[in-house]
Amino acid sequence: MTDEAYRKWLTELDAESRRKQEAFLDGLAARLGRPRVTEPPPHPFRGAPDFWKEYELSTEERIKRFIANFQAAGGHAFRLAGLEEAARFIANKAKELGVSALIRQDDALLAGLGLETLLPGVEVRVWNDDPAEDWIARAAGAGMGVVLADFAVAHTASIVTLSARGKGRSVSLLPPALAAVIPTGRLFTRLGEVLTLFDETGREGLPAGIHFISGPSRSADIENDLTIGVHGPGIAYALIVDA
Amino acid sequence: MSGPETAAKTVKERAEEALRDDYLRQAVRFTTDRLRSARLQAAQDQGNWEAWRERGRQIRSHTIAHLDYYLHRFAENARANGAHVHFAESAEEAVRIVLAIAERKGARMVAKSKSMVTEELHLNRALEDIGVKPVETDLGEYIVQLAGETPSHIIIPSIHKNRRQTADLLSKEAGEELPTDTPSLTAFVRRRMREVFLAADIGMTGCNFAIAETGSIVVFENEGNARMVSTLPKTQITLMGMERIIPTWADLEVMATLLPRSATGQRLTVYMSGISGPRRRGDGDGPEELHIVIVDNGRSLQLGDPEFQELLNCIRCGACLNVCPVYRHIGGHAYGSTYSGPIGAVLKPAFKKNVAEWDDVADASSLCGACAEACPVKIPLHDMLVSLRRRKVEAGRAKRPEALAMKVYAAVMGGSGRLRGALRLGRLALKPLARDGVIRARIGPLAGWTRHRVFPAPAGEPFRERWANLRRELEREPASMDPAVRRRLEEALRKRKRNAETEEGGERHDG
Repeated sequence: MTDEAYRKWLTELDAESRRKQEAFLDGLAARLGRPRVTEPPPHPFRGAPDFWKEYELSTEERIKRFIANFQAAGGHAFRLAGLEEAARFIANKAKELGVSALIRQDDALLAGLGLETLLPGVEVRVWNDDPAEDWIARAAGAGMGVVLADFAVAHTASIVTLSARGKGRSVSLLPPALAAVIPTGRLFTRLGEVLTLFDETGREGLPAGIHFISGPSRSADIENDLTIGVHGPGIAYALIVDA
Repeated sequence: MSGPETAAKTVKERAEEALRDDYLRQAVRFTTDRLRSARLQAAQDQGNWEAWRERGRQIRSHTIAHLDYYLHRFAENARANGAHVHFAESAEEAVRIVLAIAERKGARMVAKSKSMVTEELHLNRALEDIGVKPVETDLGEYIVQLAGETPSHIIIPSIHKNRRQTADLLSKEAGEELPTDTPSLTAFVRRRMREVFLAADIGMTGCNFAIAETGSIVVFENEGNARMVSTLPKTQITLMGMERIIPTWADLEVMATLLPRSATGQRLTVYMSGISGPRRRGDGDGPEELHIVIVDNGRSLQLGDPEFQELLNCIRCGACLNVCPVYRHIGGHAYGSTYSGPIGAVLKPAFKKNVAEWDDVADASSLCGACAEACPVKIPLHDMLVSLRRRKVEAGRAKRPEALAMKVYAAVMGGSGRLRGALRLGRLALKPLARDGVIRARIGPLAGWTRHRVFPAPAGEPFRERWANLRRELEREPASMDPAVRRRLEEALRKRKRNAETEEGGERHDG
């Protein structure tokens, strides 16, 4: 099927879907025994219970809680003095793991780590900085992916990354080891504090992929035996820095 | 839940097969014990669990009551994000849409992450029939697929397979003898699946929640395979039960608090991904084309039905399976349908229009109420099971003695509010059994209790015997209820309740 023929078919399919949608939704309303609801219904129970919305930890407690919870999930979390220490940490781990290629997001703060200088002999690549490159293959071939967390959540020990041109989803997914830099100012207490930001941003402002990462990839599907690194990174470093 | 299912055998026959399989029974009991303890611990750690459950119920019930509005919002917003949205009333329609896309894409391989809806649609078979290879990429689902079987637990699909069987299946696939240790087996799957993720023409996912206000789909998983199939292939197809909707991201916090804790006891699954449309211009990965297929397939039959509408609140955590004494003994396959355990026992008959299609799956329950107690969104599953049996009787499908039994049940329990009391007692009676998974000696005073099959079966009675009793009861006149016997029973249960409470200490999960 040619591209053009496919596009045409897809347009027809979408038109059919819109027609179907009306009958489908009319049917639901009929089942519910009332006319279609077209105005936003009052939603008095939105989000978490009120007592939870008041729950807030101090910065120190958030850091402590994040580290404890991330480690309980099988990850490694550290509080580091600053970006320089984070850069040294990442470089040391890359050497320890025998990483020959590393891929990082395209971000000024991560560029400031100077990993290229700290890791001579290691191929350090920046996601999507050259349209001619096969970036998925680059990420799949890298031993470590380095990301800057857009947000983090202490209660669930989650690193949150939002996709963008320079921030491929593959960077935090394909390499066997992941290092995430988390500036303390981006670390929240509750999941809801981050989730409600997406409501506030609204549909138009959301990226294609929002990913909460709460430890190394894991599975217990073989005789309940917990194993890590089944598809995603088996090694996950969360580096909390004052930045 | 239409479509071909293992209807040739009765639930009883499949249960008997399962009971003969010692490994299966041990494995199911061990796993469900592990998951249940983890859930209780996680709920306790979170605190105020009852308040969370209640909020979960409120959000789910509100959304379902306005499902036409929220589905419309979701579809419009998802389209605005650039997704193609499709509506399928039946399984056949959903399959037709997926196959049409696969055919026109010239797809040869589909990499799938876990999706119960695709199991429900028997989509793998349909894809194979047109020469497209579906590959299950979740470790447990892959094992089950290699064995040519179906998942037997909603969270741990390969619960019934032991290490040896798993190693044999994977070795055959590898073309060499693999060591049986978990890291070696996992490493093989990781290597094999990398090729699949990179080569697949289509990535296929399920959908845990869909956010109406932004048209986003949300997927929970631990392995990373759902991220893979929604990041690497050029086309993504997401199958979504039409009831998966929640209004906003704020509401997701409640679901994210309830689902992982209830399923495995985790604070959050390793990955929670919110996907809003295909890749944006300039993005270096993510699908170029995203299709979302919204599936009814019998779900709408519950809307407007006061006894069953809450069934659509289900968030597919599997907690009811892990506490169900029947599931724990017979495993998932005995139910003979996509969904097993108490939720499956209600879903399967409830999603069928035709009463004549109901089989005996709703009878595969002890009505003990443990399922409703465990449910994170408070679905009254045991009430639904009672209703199903009642409807079956009313429809003249049950044998005459069952009709009599139901009349007795109605007379004893009707209007007095005793049913709930009786169910509660039954649940307490089950606690000792549920705590250590060991079948204890038959309790004397309870022996006569089961003559009335509508009453909770006592714990301590081996399931094999209980099952036999349930069958026998169908074939004989129900004995009348002696008030003196009832008093003794209630006293005995109160005593056991006190004992159970002192033994259990901090295990209650509503703290």
